[in-house]
Amino acid sequence: MKLEVGYIRICDISFAEATEVKEGTLYVNAKELESMVLEDERIAAVCFDIARPGESVRITPVKDVIEPRAKVEGPGDIFPGVITKMSTVGMGKTHVLRGAAVVTVGKIVGFQEGIIDMSGLGAEYTPFSKTNNLVVNFTPKEGLSPHEYEAAARHAGLTIAYTLGKLSAALTPDETKVYEFPSMVEGIKKYPDLPRVGYVQMLQSQGLLHDTYVYGVDMKKSITTMLCPTETMDGAIISGNCVSACDKNTTYHHQNNPVIEDLFAEHGKTLNFAAMVITNENVYLADKERSSDWTAKLVDYLDLDGVIISQEGFGNPDTDLIMNCKKIEATGTRTVIITNEYAGRDGTSQSLADADPSADALVTAGNSNQVVTLPKLDRVIGTLEYTEKIAGGFAGNIVADGSITVELQAITGATNELGFNLMSAR
Amino acid sequence: MSAFGGGTNILVTNNPMASELFESTLQVEYLSASLLDVLVRVRNLVHSGHTLLTHPLSGSVKPNETHYKSVLLSKSRGKADAQSVQIIGECILAAQRFNARQLPARYLRDMQIVDLSIISSALETKKTNS
Repeated sequence: MKLEVGYIRICDISFAEATEVKEGTLYVNAKELESMVLEDERIAAVCFDIARPGESVRITPVKDVIEPRAKVEGPGDIFPGVITKMSTVGMGKTHVLRGAAVVTVGKIVGFQEGIIDMSGLGAEYTPFSKTNNLVVNFTPKEGLSPHEYEAAARHAGLTIAYTLGKLSAALTPDETKVYEFPSMVEGIKKYPDLPRVGYVQMLQSQGLLHDTYVYGVDMKKSITTMLCPTETMDGAIISGNCVSACDKNTTYHHQNNPVIEDLFAEHGKTLNFAAMVITNENVYLADKERSSDWTAKLVDYLDLDGVIISQEGFGNPDTDLIMNCKKIEATGTRTVIITNEYAGRDGTSQSLADADPSADALVTAGNSNQVVTLPKLDRVIGTLEYTEKIAGGFAGNIVADGSITVELQAITGATNELGFNLMSAR
Repeated sequence: MSAFGGGTNILVTNNPMASELFESTLQVEYLSASLLDVLVRVRNLVHSGHTLLTHPLSGSVKPNETHYKSVLLSKSRGKADAQSVQIIGECILAAQRFNARQLPARYLRDMQIVDLSIISSALETKKTNS
């Protein structure tokens, strides 16, 4: 499979009469988008706002972040099986409005949503302080259940991103990247001396409000399977996830998975990027056993030399992570796991809820219990009503000067386990 | 003994919503107690030979971020299941690491909904297993 991705640089965003891209600025007609969103009778009202990098703006509670993209050539369309017809994607040509994002906001279950600060200390912890954000705040129809509200907000966010993404189709990219993923036999023939490395991506699938969809399929109902990594760039994986903000993969993360980016960057040089396996993180223990049996079986069958395993979330997914690691290592394939830590505010507690001696190569995305004080910002998009309730916030954490003290887990993407982070240490 | 826990399984919960919803289909043991108390009760059942069917740290919600927990165990009893013993032990250690915090009453309903959603979804996938 070969996918060419063209990036159109977006440096600013503004409301206007016509929705268009001109000289690096994304202009949005909010009225048009509003009537599109309100076609869904589950949504009572929708409010649009804009947040630019460096502005004194706090966005909360954040549900999802989505990058606008368009399919220019090749089969299928963006967000297949969800927004567009089912068809395999990941081939041909795709355009991206790089630097723009749709941020969905709303009280779904307030305490599991996150914060994006566009300036100050908080901005250093979230990658979405660097994007020009169209913020969409939904008000549900009275009496709507949290599950229906989540589904409506998810669908509306993707529809808006899809609509804006379409604008990129006719534009000339500022930069183009080509991702070529050979068949297994081609890869072995082409790079006979390079180690064959695979990627096992674990997807959050604990249940309603904690779900991930692949081509529209609820991942908790799927057995472990394979994907061509370029499919993720066309929106094959989307987030329906309301777990703690720091380590949930938003749809934007799935569209721009840095593990995949880096494996492609090394492909043909230091390694042969040979396979991508996706698996779930279910609550039922028998599901965990089955799914990890399957990851190990697929990795063994593919005869890989090594795999990178990325986790999503904390707590019971630690058990899935260790099961995957242990069972894959037992087949003779070496593993590196990517996770984050809940090591207490002083960092001295055990970081994971499970462990095994075979998990001897680990990359950490940071300690989610780390406490930070975020300064008062001039404007809040959304509401601070839930700030003391979100995971990582604590009661009474908004002090008189308007600053708030939270654990890093309250900040969207702060300790993302795909490594999509702004800060690092070596 | 079925590995998937055939028959009417046991739900240990301190979530009134879950207790109410499942009282006719499961053997519900409702505790008006803390999350840690629920985990300790689950440990005692595991030690007496019941198998853990769902992971007690479900939801990626840290033990001090929610007050509610519902855990499903097999009705049938056998020898203490080693994996269940290990998992519940680790969960209790994890829960003890976090100090329980007082959360305003207006947040409790959301937490009950999240716990209920997770245990309901687990029971859905359990149907596929049986």
